[in-house]
Amino acid sequence: MTELQLIGIGTWSSKHGNWAEFCAGMQSGEWPEAVKLQPNLIPPRERRRAPQLVKMAIEVMDQACKMAALEPDEIAVIFSSAMGDMQITDYMCAALAQTPKLISPTKFHNSVHNAAPGYWSITTGAFCPASAISAFEYTPTMALLEACIQAAEEQTPVLCVTQEVAAPPALMETCPTKFPFSVAFLLAPADFCDSPLATVEFDVSQGSVEWPAIDERLSEFTSNMSARLLPLMTAFAGKRNVDLRFPIAAEMSLGIRLDLCTT
Amino acid sequence: MRLSITHYSATSAAGAGLAALRQSLATRQSGLRRNDFEGCDLDTWIGRVPGVEDVELPDELNRLQSRNNQLAWLGLRQDGMLDAIHALSDKIGAHRIGVVMGTSTSSIGRTEEAYRHLDESGGMRPEFLQPEVHNLHSPGIFVSAVTGLKGPSMTISTACSSSAKVFATATRWIKHGLVDAALVGGVDSLCLSILYGFNSLELVSSEQCRPFDKDRNGINIGEAAGYALLTRPELAPDAELQLAGYGESSDAHHMSHPHPEGRGAVFSMSRALERAATASGEVAYVNLHGTASKANDMVETFALAERFTETTLVSSTKGWTGHTLGAAGILESVIAIDTLETGLLPGTLNCVQADPEFRFPVMKDNLEKNISCSMSNSFGFGGNNASLVFRKRDD
Repeated sequence: MTELQLIGIGTWSSKHGNWAEFCAGMQSGEWPEAVKLQPNLIPPRERRRAPQLVKMAIEVMDQACKMAALEPDEIAVIFSSAMGDMQITDYMCAALAQTPKLISPTKFHNSVHNAAPGYWSITTGAFCPASAISAFEYTPTMALLEACIQAAEEQTPVLCVTQEVAAPPALMETCPTKFPFSVAFLLAPADFCDSPLATVEFDVSQGSVEWPAIDERLSEFTSNMSARLLPLMTAFAGKRNVDLRFPIAAEMSLGIRLDLCTT
Repeated sequence: MRLSITHYSATSAAGAGLAALRQSLATRQSGLRRNDFEGCDLDTWIGRVPGVEDVELPDELNRLQSRNNQLAWLGLRQDGMLDAIHALSDKIGAHRIGVVMGTSTSSIGRTEEAYRHLDESGGMRPEFLQPEVHNLHSPGIFVSAVTGLKGPSMTISTACSSSAKVFATATRWIKHGLVDAALVGGVDSLCLSILYGFNSLELVSSEQCRPFDKDRNGINIGEAAGYALLTRPELAPDAELQLAGYGESSDAHHMSHPHPEGRGAVFSMSRALERAATASGEVAYVNLHGTASKANDMVETFALAERFTETTLVSSTKGWTGHTLGAAGILESVIAIDTLETGLLPGTLNCVQADPEFRFPVMKDNLEKNISCSMSNSFGFGGNNASLVFRKRDD
């Protein structure tokens, strides 16, 4: 078991706008009527042009950093999404089938999987390492593992983001994601700060495990691969310690323990 | 921690496998050709690997059919890579070997094809309903399945630094004890998204690309697959070649232009040298990102001038292969690693006269020289940078 700290959380979906709304929704069953996506970190003019996926990522990353009261310039970034920006994929593939020479250059450069960490670095001025990964169905757990290992081995805070946007019709059959979901965990080495949200222990072992069940009040997100960490989030939101095992491969699992730090 | 590099290979327009690559480099025979990629009529040159479309995947993996996976499979069957992977797997266990692949566009070529044949209701036809293909981890899924490796499997997609960063992740995984070895690699294949996308940014050249030439006018898109097998040093006591260090950084500047003073590039090279406990004067050769775009090549010389003196020889090999994007990191790492083995330092093909505004001299001609330390630079869209230092074992 390697020990780390959890020092910030950010989250956004079609159902909640931040961690406080998520916790309140789980407790009371009442959710906001409409959820906006307006990341303040992106200047308004840029915000209008930024893809939804980028806005989701920047929003949850900013929330997590603010919760930790930590400036972004010393934080490594692991962005993850199984499918990447399916809305841009849909645009590109449809346009290429019709009028390939009229592809939008902005959409093209936004099509890289590292567009979100790229925007993050540009808007925050951070020169820190940033990665963008996918591990298909295991994307959220592999991203969390990658972030834990980087925080432990490089003794640096790491901001781990995992998210999927809703699938366009042509991709719905191969990736039936109906609602967007995004979550960011800001991890730090053990002893990084005096008042973390929780201490984190993680370990990897051989053998298959099932995905922990998602609370049925959040069943609309079961089709979204990035929401597979919801059992961790719901336990934590309910102020319960977490001790869960998640699959990271067909025959391997990641154990995560969160011990809440009461302040 | 320094990792042993026990096996490595690359397949690109400059040849399938190391023997063909070495021959192309030694004879200065470019693999670039006038664009003849099916479905694309752009006036440009490309680095196409001949015969990719005829590669047959193993029967049981037909569900993973895509040009990218065909190229991945072609590359994996060169230079005894598969035998080496299976031998290591028998020795230490399939769960103790991780798979870290890099790609920019994964199997998007297959998704493009599916979109050209949508049914009347706008859905994909049955032959294209391949969930494991239409996603960014397609190369990792294919390589894990075809090798039988059962360790953690992940794909990094940070544009043109993707398959350089695989070495950083593998180092962390092995150092942490997650695995004892890792198959790292990268695959990117020609597709319309990339050809027309770079065309929309007015970055493709209608001539053979000319990295670092004063008249360079853009890139040529290429495709490649490459791999390296990395292990804990104690697992390969006889291995001569090592990954000594990695450096990663962001540019904090622009989505498609490098930082004008190359600050991100300097960070990336500095962090790699620091981790490798290597002085810049020890680096005999650097394989540059050197895309032949106006901005990249200029800025890369600024960054080099910050970190190196002119005793370090530097070149770009994209005149042989084109810019292979997400596979550039592994392809050019293989070239940098191989200079330690062969002593053949490739020059910069198609560079006739260097730009007078450069701040660092670039090697035009090939040179034979026995060296013990080399480096590779990869810089990508979104301002994402990675540098790697390779060394001959010195203990």
